[in-house]
Amino acid sequence: MSFRTKVFLSITTTVVISVWIVASVVSTLVTNSFERQDMQRTAALISQFRSEFDRRGAEVARRVDAIANSDDVQRLAVNLGASKIDTAQFYDTAQALAREQSLNFLELAGPDGSIISSAEWPARFGYKESWLLQPVDWKAQGFFLQREELADGPALGLMTVRTVSAGDGLLYIAGGQRLDKAFLDSLPPAPGMNTRLVRDFDAPAPSDTPASKLAADLIQDVRERPRELSLTGSDVTLTAIPLLGRDNKLLAILMVENSRAELANLKTYIQGTAWIGGSAGVLLGLGFSLWAASRVTRPVLALASNVRDVAGGNWDSRARIDSTDEVGQLAQDFNRMTEQLVEQRDRMIQAERVAAWRELARRLAHELKNPLFPLQITVENLQRARQASPQQFDEVFRESTSTLLAELDNLKTIVGRFSDFARMPAPHLEPVDLNQMVQDVAKLFDAQMEGLDRPRIAKILQLDDNLPSVSADPEQLRRALRNLVLNALDAMPKGGTLTLRTQRLDGTPDPKIAIEVSDSGEGLTPEECARLFTPYYTTKQHGTGLGLAIVQSVVSDHKGTITVRSEPGKGATFRIELKA
Amino acid sequence: MRLRAWAWLALSSIWLTALTGTTRPRYGGALTVELSSASFMLDPVNTHGRLSPAIAETLVRVNARGAIEPRLALAWQHEPDNKRWRFSLRPKVSFHDGEPLTAVNAAPALLAALKKKYGDVTVTAGGQTLVVQFEHPMPDLLAELTHPETAIFHKGDANAVIGTGPFRVAAWEPGRRLALAAFEDYWGGRPFLDSIIISVGAGSVRADVFDIPFGATRRVVPEGFHIWTSAPNELIALLAANPQSTLLQALSLAIDRTPIVNVLAQRRGEAAFGILPQWLSGYAFLFQAAPDLARARQLISQLRLPSINLTYPANDSFARAVAERVALNARDAGITIQPTTNPGGSLTLVRWPLDSANAAEELTRLLGFLGASDRAASLDPAKPETLYEAERVLLDDHRVIPLVYLPAIYGLAPRVHNWEAAQKLDPFRLNLENLWVDQ
Repeated sequence: MSFRTKVFLSITTTVVISVWIVASVVSTLVTNSFERQDMQRTAALISQFRSEFDRRGAEVARRVDAIANSDDVQRLAVNLGASKIDTAQFYDTAQALAREQSLNFLELAGPDGSIISSAEWPARFGYKESWLLQPVDWKAQGFFLQREELADGPALGLMTVRTVSAGDGLLYIAGGQRLDKAFLDSLPPAPGMNTRLVRDFDAPAPSDTPASKLAADLIQDVRERPRELSLTGSDVTLTAIPLLGRDNKLLAILMVENSRAELANLKTYIQGTAWIGGSAGVLLGLGFSLWAASRVTRPVLALASNVRDVAGGNWDSRARIDSTDEVGQLAQDFNRMTEQLVEQRDRMIQAERVAAWRELARRLAHELKNPLFPLQITVENLQRARQASPQQFDEVFRESTSTLLAELDNLKTIVGRFSDFARMPAPHLEPVDLNQMVQDVAKLFDAQMEGLDRPRIAKILQLDDNLPSVSADPEQLRRALRNLVLNALDAMPKGGTLTLRTQRLDGTPDPKIAIEVSDSGEGLTPEECARLFTPYYTTKQHGTGLGLAIVQSVVSDHKGTITVRSEPGKGATFRIELKA
Repeated sequence: MRLRAWAWLALSSIWLTALTGTTRPRYGGALTVELSSASFMLDPVNTHGRLSPAIAETLVRVNARGAIEPRLALAWQHEPDNKRWRFSLRPKVSFHDGEPLTAVNAAPALLAALKKKYGDVTVTAGGQTLVVQFEHPMPDLLAELTHPETAIFHKGDANAVIGTGPFRVAAWEPGRRLALAAFEDYWGGRPFLDSIIISVGAGSVRADVFDIPFGATRRVVPEGFHIWTSAPNELIALLAANPQSTLLQALSLAIDRTPIVNVLAQRRGEAAFGILPQWLSGYAFLFQAAPDLARARQLISQLRLPSINLTYPANDSFARAVAERVALNARDAGITIQPTTNPGGSLTLVRWPLDSANAAEELTRLLGFLGASDRAASLDPAKPETLYEAERVLLDDHRVIPLVYLPAIYGLAPRVHNWEAAQKLDPFRLNLENLWVDQ
């Protein structure tokens, strides 16, 4: 992760977390404030409801009293008492009286509870209202809630019952007003709040919304244990107030619905603001990280570029020192370190050059010493033969000159090898079928591997059929392969197995091919492996130490690599990797 | 003695003069009529016949004894196969616009009226003779021609009805007001009244004649006014759209008709268990049955009960009260009925005005209304048992559940005379043309 990214992430994270914390705190405070306000509003609404309930109840009682004292009702009572009346003619009396007194419910019932006239359900005349006959002091009872059965279903009434003496019995006057939506609508409006009366507790929820489910749960709870109860949902707060009848039976539930939409809107606004703040934090972090990069990471990146240059071999690369801070000090140290490295490299090159010259001298001395000694002996033999036995000189001369010529050829060969190594030409690249080349090279050594004068060496070819052609100098590459095979054969004086393997390497960014030459000889020590490609280094008795150096030179000229892996006693494998 | 005799004679003359002064018809004066019922639409052509005889007359009519007598047709004869009828029109009859009544100008109205029911009818005219030809036998044509729908009239300016009756249309506000003026050239002689002004829905108690609809039993009747109640001439019944015998039987058993009569109709009606009232059929008492809730509940115990909509006429408070009472009785039996004014209910509360003193004809009309005209073929007016059987079958499949018979009730001002006699002429219609009033 770059320094710039770290700076960006740090600043952004800090700002976002800060904004989130502030938003959370504000949101919590707002929620608490709203809920407090909701509770107050709900309490006020319930208080208004109760107040209106009492006022209407008193009003109903007053109106029913007026009806009880009206001439029509008094006359009806007198006639009832005298048992000389056909009550049928009073069938629609209640409707007229209820209209006069603005009552929704009014029933006139005889001493046996039979309805003489009903305003709310005129067809019910003759039916009995047995609850009126209960031993109740209706005057003291005042008003009460009563569930009234109507033609179009049950209704809730704020009722009062009065009695008028009718002979030995009583004429019952039960009147009231509906407690319904109109009643609730008459309450002072409370913005954001809705009230409704739930009478049918088993009615299915009008919708499948969370608010409906919440209401259903609340109703169920209040039904089981009538009490004032509130439940808060995601978008609404519901408060249920049980409305009980004269016998404390639950008749209806006043449901106060307090919308949390305003709170939700405010929360959304806070979240929006937080998002904007967070986004601003991200932008701020981005800007600051860019600024910080220009101040901090640019010198560091320049220094990293210098490091890459030096690693790539540009020892002249130097860091620019623009400041005296830590980064400037770092650049200064880098420059000093580079200079020291250059000095050390030069010293090493010098040392290696001296060592190479010494090695060359040693090899030259070694190589030249072998032919020079026979030359010296031969010349001394000639001198002795001239002096000691002139008659035999001619024969000695002939033998000595042939020896001299042979040794001189030997010297010429040695000089030619060194000359060849020095004159390695640049490769002429052309498409090369490596599998074919490997097969050709292996075939060259068939006779040698199967020769009767030495232990047999088995040959194994493992060639990749999907090997692409490579761009290479076929002569140089063939020479390098020959050298490797020759080395491998030399490493197996007691016989063994020569394995030649080609392989397509697909796992690398650039397609490559690999050629491996493995022997099952004695193997090499790690030290030998390390020095194996050094010119003039050899582990053989008669090698020049140039074979593998030439191989490495060829591979290097083809932009390839050569490696060796070996362990003593387990053979050695040389691996060449070339670009396809 | 002679002086005393002369004095007695003088006093008797004065008394007789006074007496005859109140009973002898007087010409002149205007009769105001206030009607409340929606059935009186004040359309002279579409009034169920209750007003039209005063304006437009039929060829024949039914008299107080139930016999058919001449009206615009003086004589008639028919072929033995009852397919061809020939009517001789009354001479010297003119329409309200002065045009004389001839077969030519009577034929279009008659043909249009008969075509509504009989597609094979043709009417040809020649002089004062109308020939009515059917492709099928029409033995009851005379009874058919007593219906006001077959009255002879034509339309004048502003769509006004121009008939031959004793009164002509002087002004007409459809659905609200109809003013009739005496037709001086009426063939039967000028009517007593100069004019009749009929209005609907004004609620005035100052009218000379007003109807007292059921559902408004507490209407204030001015002092001195007389309440007149006709014989039951209207049947309130439930009609089932889809016969479901068991359910309807249970409903019929659940309905207690007595409170409907006693309370809703204020004892002015009769409980109906059959189609035709007792006075008309003579056998209606055979259908009487007491309500039986237990039996009703037993009948429906195995049924899967739908909620039933009971449609009753809008703006008819009595029908609404009856429908609600029926729903209440049904609820006691476990049947859910919802009264409504929306059409299309599986039950309909109908007010069926009886239109004829002929029981067979009335039953035929009802069977036709119910789409069971084929059953009418078995009816024989001379054999009441055929009527009873037809009615019993009709009741047994419970397509009709009779509830109550209602009379017509009118409030009459003291100055209105000849009411009883006028109504006897046609017990099913409001007969105003023969009334007269004190000035």
